[in-house]
Amino acid sequence: MLWAQSKRDRGNNVWRVLVVEDDPDMREFFAASVTRCAALELAASLGTVADARDWLNQHTAPVDVLLTDLGLPDGSGLEVIRMALRLHPQCEPLVISMFGDEDNVLASIEAGALGYIHKDSTPDDIARTILDMREGASPISPMIARRVLSKYRSQFADPPPSFRAHPTAPEAETARPLLSPREQDVLALIARGFSYSEVARLQAVTVHTIRTHIRNLYAKLSVHSKTEAVFEATRMGLLPPHS
Amino acid sequence: MAAQGVAGQTQQLQQANATTTTAGTTTQGVVSLPYHWDKRHKGQAGQARFELQFDLDSLPTESYGIYLPRLGNAYAIWLNGHLLQHNGDLASGNGADFAKAPRYVDITPGLLQRHNQIVIQIRADVGRRGGLAPVTVGPESEVRTLHRSDHQWRITGSVAVAIANLLVALIALALWATQVDNSIPGKPQRDCLYLFAGLAELSWALRVADAAIEQPPLDWPWWGMLTIAALTAWVCSMVLFCVEVAGWRRLASLTWLRRWLAVLMATSLPAGYLAMVTGKPVALTLQYAALATTALVFLARFLIRTRIATLQHKIVAAAILLNIGVGIRDLVAFRLSESYGGNTWMRYSSLMFGVALAYIVLARLHQATTQARDLLKHMEDRIARKEAELQLLYPRMEELARDHERSAERSRILRDMHDGVGSHISTAIRQLQNGKASHDDMLHTLSDALDQLKLSIDAMHLQPGDVGALLANMRYRLESRFLACGIELQWDVAELAPITRLDAHAMGQLQFMLFEAFSNVLQHAHASMLRVVALPLGPANQGLQLQIIDNGVGYDSDAPPRNGLRSMQNRAQAIGVVLRLSSVPGRSVVEIRTD
Repeated sequence: MLWAQSKRDRGNNVWRVLVVEDDPDMREFFAASVTRCAALELAASLGTVADARDWLNQHTAPVDVLLTDLGLPDGSGLEVIRMALRLHPQCEPLVISMFGDEDNVLASIEAGALGYIHKDSTPDDIARTILDMREGASPISPMIARRVLSKYRSQFADPPPSFRAHPTAPEAETARPLLSPREQDVLALIARGFSYSEVARLQAVTVHTIRTHIRNLYAKLSVHSKTEAVFEATRMGLLPPHS
Repeated sequence: MAAQGVAGQTQQLQQANATTTTAGTTTQGVVSLPYHWDKRHKGQAGQARFELQFDLDSLPTESYGIYLPRLGNAYAIWLNGHLLQHNGDLASGNGADFAKAPRYVDITPGLLQRHNQIVIQIRADVGRRGGLAPVTVGPESEVRTLHRSDHQWRITGSVAVAIANLLVALIALALWATQVDNSIPGKPQRDCLYLFAGLAELSWALRVADAAIEQPPLDWPWWGMLTIAALTAWVCSMVLFCVEVAGWRRLASLTWLRRWLAVLMATSLPAGYLAMVTGKPVALTLQYAALATTALVFLARFLIRTRIATLQHKIVAAAILLNIGVGIRDLVAFRLSESYGGNTWMRYSSLMFGVALAYIVLARLHQATTQARDLLKHMEDRIARKEAELQLLYPRMEELARDHERSAERSRILRDMHDGVGSHISTAIRQLQNGKASHDDMLHTLSDALDQLKLSIDAMHLQPGDVGALLANMRYRLESRFLACGIELQWDVAELAPITRLDAHAMGQLQFMLFEAFSNVLQHAHASMLRVVALPLGPANQGLQLQIIDNGVGYDSDAPPRNGLRSMQNRAQAIGVVLRLSSVPGRSVVEIRTD
């Protein structure tokens, strides 16, 4: 609702982008890449977690896109992502990654990021990635697809039944796999190196459908990681079972 | 002449009219009982008829019986002209021997008179303890009790002792056969203690059982000689058993003892022959005396040398002492005096050796159990110590393994840096220094460097042999460059099973080869299409065929290879894959195969 409101208020589909990057040259490059795109508006460009926290606390104007580096001098970009999502739920975070390596990207996805941008991307690529993401596209590399497949293929969306204090739904309903068969097929093809359009052709669906699958996957991984964290915390006695 | 008795009282008849026939000569006269044939007719077999009279003051009302402690070797008994009992062949000798067991004869009611005559006819063999012992007549209840007691001691007791000896013998021989010490390779050692005990008990079982064997499997005197040999074997084996107990097996003087025992064994048969065939019982008496003397001397030596230090020594010494004493008593009673009837005591005293053996076996078992327990405890302690050491060693080993892994990983990364990023940056620097390179060449070199760096990082997460992942990742990393060059990518990659022979190092080499091929297309081919084909090969999909096909201008594949192509060939050779290059304008193929 808030997201819809902000769009309406601006009325011209310009997305406000907050850039958090500690390297001044790189920060300037990303800020310039945003500024030069007519569909994007630079909300601010900051260099530390503390600056980002202060800015997010002080500015109530909506932020549509967060572009953050992970390795910041005073903390992790993951903190900035969580903070931005808490204060601006409509915000869509993107991680700036040098290598797009699977460990960092997966951690970012689980923190709520919806994609990542390589540092060596061209300015046009950067703007294109941001706009694609706003249209529902999230990138996923074959390595990450493989990692997600091997990690979550046998896992379930909900914590184990024994954990639930008041089981109300039948087993079959609650104990569904985290990845649907179709999502697994899509991930398997991506893991073999096929592009979204090739996957769409092989699966006889549209590219949009593939994008939706991947976006859903991002959301699931994020939610699952939170559920898993609560489950683990409860199991370790850090949280009461009903909390 | 006739014994006078009161009805209801037992009478012992010790006189008889005897008619004896030896070698065709018959003599007659009154004799006193016992009539020990061997003493009176040395070396002669023959028959005798004894007539014994007894009177009763009145006819008894209760049942009467006759008890005969010993008679035979074959016999027949009549009372007042009626045959009461007979055993064996009175005419021909050296067959069955019925003189071993005491006899009881029921007197048929109504057969007794005031004046009675018992006629006993016997057949006696040489040296077989034939004859007639004093005859007891009286009420059945009293006479039967006398017979029963005698029978129990002489026959039942002998059978029991023989069975006990046989059991001990079998156990001892089984122990000898099974308890083998294999500590010296090729020379299994058995414990002779069990062998000698087994032989002794076996010999003694035969000797004692003879008391109950009336019909032996061999004729007289061979059977008699066998029992003498058995007695000698028992003594000799027992002496050797005691030698083992004392631990004297390796003493030099033992040679003499063994020789002497062999002499005793050898003389046992001649002594028996002389006594039982030629009528010289002194030969057998001397044999027995020699055995007793041997045992006595051995006992003295045993007592002195062992100082009976252990309970085992004490028990064995007591057994020897007891048996020597009893043996001498039996020697005197049966060989030197006129005793006829009665029992040898040695058959019972010999059981003491069985007790000694049982104690030794139990003591050894206890010792073995204790040793096994101690050994087990020792082993457990050692295992616990080793486990503790391993516990300490384990983290160290893990750390070493991690160090090794880290070191290998570092080496691989350094090699990648050297061959990839380092090489490209060096090229870029040279291009800048000589100022001849174009902007595009510079950009290409630096892009290659960055892509190599990314691929090296990706390679860290690649599973060994997962060529599918390697290809997919290369496409992901390089696709933007192909698009930037206007090259359409056709992806024809089948699902590939892991190629087990390609380890992390080989995967790195393969990545370099593919990167070189892609880079050549980007830099030199001027192609508009690049097709990547990957197919599994072999019945179990254990192999792989990779093709990089472009429609560029091509190159002379027969010309000496450039640096990049030579590097590819070297890498292919290093990891054992086949690299084939072919090129004509419009179609250049780089093919990599693994079988």
